[in-house]
Amino acid sequence: MPVMNDQPDYDPVFLHCRREAIVIVGVWVAAMIWTLSSCAATGYADGQDVPTIFGMPSWVCWGIALPWLVADVVAIALCLFYIRDDDLGVAHEGADVAEDIRHRHEGEGDGNA
Amino acid sequence: MTIDSAAMPGILAVGQSNAALATFILYTLGVFVIAALSNRLLQKKAFLSEYFLGSRGLGMWAFALTFAATSASGGSFTGFPAKIYTHGWVLALWIASYMVVPVCTMGLLGKRINQVARMSGAITVPDILRDRFESRFLGLMSTMLMVFFLVFNLVAQFKAGSLILETLLTGVEPFQTQAARVGDWVSNAAKTDGWTFLLDATGNPVDGGYLLCLMTFGIAVIFYTTYGGFHAVVWTDVMQGVVMVFGVAVMLPLALMQVGGLENATQELAQMVPPRPATICVDWGAQKTEDGVLPSGSWVQQPPATADGQPRLFRTTKSALYVAGTSQVCGVEALEILSDNEITRLTGPESPLTFLDAGVAEINEGDTYAYGSEEEHKGSYVTAPGPSRTDSTGFLPLGVAISFFFMWAISGSGQPQYMVRLMAFKDSQTLRRAIITVTMYFSIIYFPLVIIFVCARVLLPGMENEPDRIMPQMAVLLTENAGVGWLAGLLVAAPFAAVMSTVDSFLLVISSSVVRDIYQRNISPDASQRTIKWMSYFCTLAVGLIALFGAISPPKFLQDIIVYVGSGLAACFLFPVVAALYWPRANKWTCIVGMLGGFGAHLAMHLIGMQLNGSFVNAYRLFGLDPVVVGLVASLLSVLIITPLTPKPPEHLVRKYFYRQPAQG
Repeated sequence: MPVMNDQPDYDPVFLHCRREAIVIVGVWVAAMIWTLSSCAATGYADGQDVPTIFGMPSWVCWGIALPWLVADVVAIALCLFYIRDDDLGVAHEGADVAEDIRHRHEGEGDGNA
Repeated sequence: MTIDSAAMPGILAVGQSNAALATFILYTLGVFVIAALSNRLLQKKAFLSEYFLGSRGLGMWAFALTFAATSASGGSFTGFPAKIYTHGWVLALWIASYMVVPVCTMGLLGKRINQVARMSGAITVPDILRDRFESRFLGLMSTMLMVFFLVFNLVAQFKAGSLILETLLTGVEPFQTQAARVGDWVSNAAKTDGWTFLLDATGNPVDGGYLLCLMTFGIAVIFYTTYGGFHAVVWTDVMQGVVMVFGVAVMLPLALMQVGGLENATQELAQMVPPRPATICVDWGAQKTEDGVLPSGSWVQQPPATADGQPRLFRTTKSALYVAGTSQVCGVEALEILSDNEITRLTGPESPLTFLDAGVAEINEGDTYAYGSEEEHKGSYVTAPGPSRTDSTGFLPLGVAISFFFMWAISGSGQPQYMVRLMAFKDSQTLRRAIITVTMYFSIIYFPLVIIFVCARVLLPGMENEPDRIMPQMAVLLTENAGVGWLAGLLVAAPFAAVMSTVDSFLLVISSSVVRDIYQRNISPDASQRTIKWMSYFCTLAVGLIALFGAISPPKFLQDIIVYVGSGLAACFLFPVVAALYWPRANKWTCIVGMLGGFGAHLAMHLIGMQLNGSFVNAYRLFGLDPVVVGLVASLLSVLIITPLTPKPPEHLVRKYFYRQPAQG
């Protein structure tokens, strides 16, 4: 992170995006640990006498349906309260192509010279 | 020749009513109207940005539904239901990471990629990479990789769309007549005129119905995508997204009602074992007076040997011809139902089936499932890893389940066709609301699909050899039983809509890469707007027609390629793009080596698999993990190792993309 006065600051949109991405990766890891550990513990078992909850096998209920519900709530909460509304700027349509044209003409100019 | 009408399966043929045809025509008309409206927008705005990116102005509903519809390919409504039907409740675990897919695929890169694309004026993913690192080579390499991967996928999606349309229209008389005519024409053209491209991989003429559907589907999609551009694709995606959610919303309550509740379905499944393939001789006991066809899907039973025994039940899985003067037809492929509870239910007084008035003279039993048939694995439909015909460790061992958490959520973030959509939303508020919408949308689509097709396993037994037909069969069964058969056409439109929305997106991503990244950025940067406009129309049309031509007789190994390229794209693109967006120290070598590392490791797993298992698609699983995970890890390591070893990026690029810009004026 630049600290000297003569150095520019990081773009706040970049910083917000990076922080939000880290939290989202955390949500993914948490969902994976919950689901896989729960299903590994109770889902890979004998199926003839599998207990059910709301008609679905209990390992599906605790290991998938419930974390799915929680993940939905967390994702919605992230969107409502954590992810920032940032100004993404104005699109510089054609700026990159204009640059290409400038480079090409500079090249031609050099060649002619 | 006759079709043995007594042998017609108890389940009705798909698309019996003309409602299916009416639905399709209305739907197609709607799509064309949208294309016309979109084309009017093209006249008013900067062409390239509007044609390929909708002028970066997508609102919440358009952005959310186009993202969701593009993500839900034909597989969501054909392959996924087929898998649930074949393997049972374990598919809930297979699809579980969809709980975080929206927040990951949209939230990880969304805001930042949109901002960076605006800064540089980029309209494609290779465009972003090229601008971010000022590397023409990187732009070209990423374009080549993307086009290579997506073209194969496009061919497969065309094929899937045609098969679904064919299923939808089977039984509609005008279609059958035209299909027969086309079939005759194909046969003549292939055999007498030497048009060998009309022969399939086995050397037989392509089916007339398939070709007719391919042309109808393909030309419709190519036309509206070419004419309307991005906005046509987005608005049709919105319509398609609504059709999909409608399909699920109607099927869920009907399925639960007709199966007698989810508890009943699960308990039935818990007692089931997978069926066994067999070839049988069907014996009518009296000589047939004329030639005829024993249709696929016919039920036949062999009475029990003892008074307290159970009959043996068979469902034919391929049509068989019989000739006049014989009383038997042999070599009929069938599945034998082995579950006691199913046999009792299907032969009881409330059986939904109509049995053939014939016996079984001879039975040649095939192999049982590699996992799920043994007594100790009874109940495999309600537990993990689920039954498998070929794999003795079951359908979803834990290592593969871990891989699927990467596959959907993480590798989904690395697909360029989704990244392009992330470059098109209007502002960050739109992104936040769209994540919420897609989160709810996926929740009400995917988990209910598991429930619906768990019920289908009970309601429609013996379809293991043709599981891809389970969605339309289920739609017809549920609506006919509920007395609303006309709804079947609308329900079957859901998978059709899903394929269409994927095809149009792929088409535009490929043509934008060709026009923008190859033609405009490398060949003719100062081409006029008019030239670019016609190049865009031409490329979209040409790419579509090439894929359409490829789908007439897709190569035998197409499915292998699809499995490979689906995850290969993510292994190539995810970490290089993440580094480009989030790591100021990244340079062009970070991306080049990251892409090649992911591509190479992923390819290596498939090549080793080919050596060890004799099949390219049956890839080697390092530590039990899917090749996509290995590819992603290799790409990440390449990015992390190569970056410190190569020069720092130019200061002006870091300032441009990572530092606060000085106030204008």
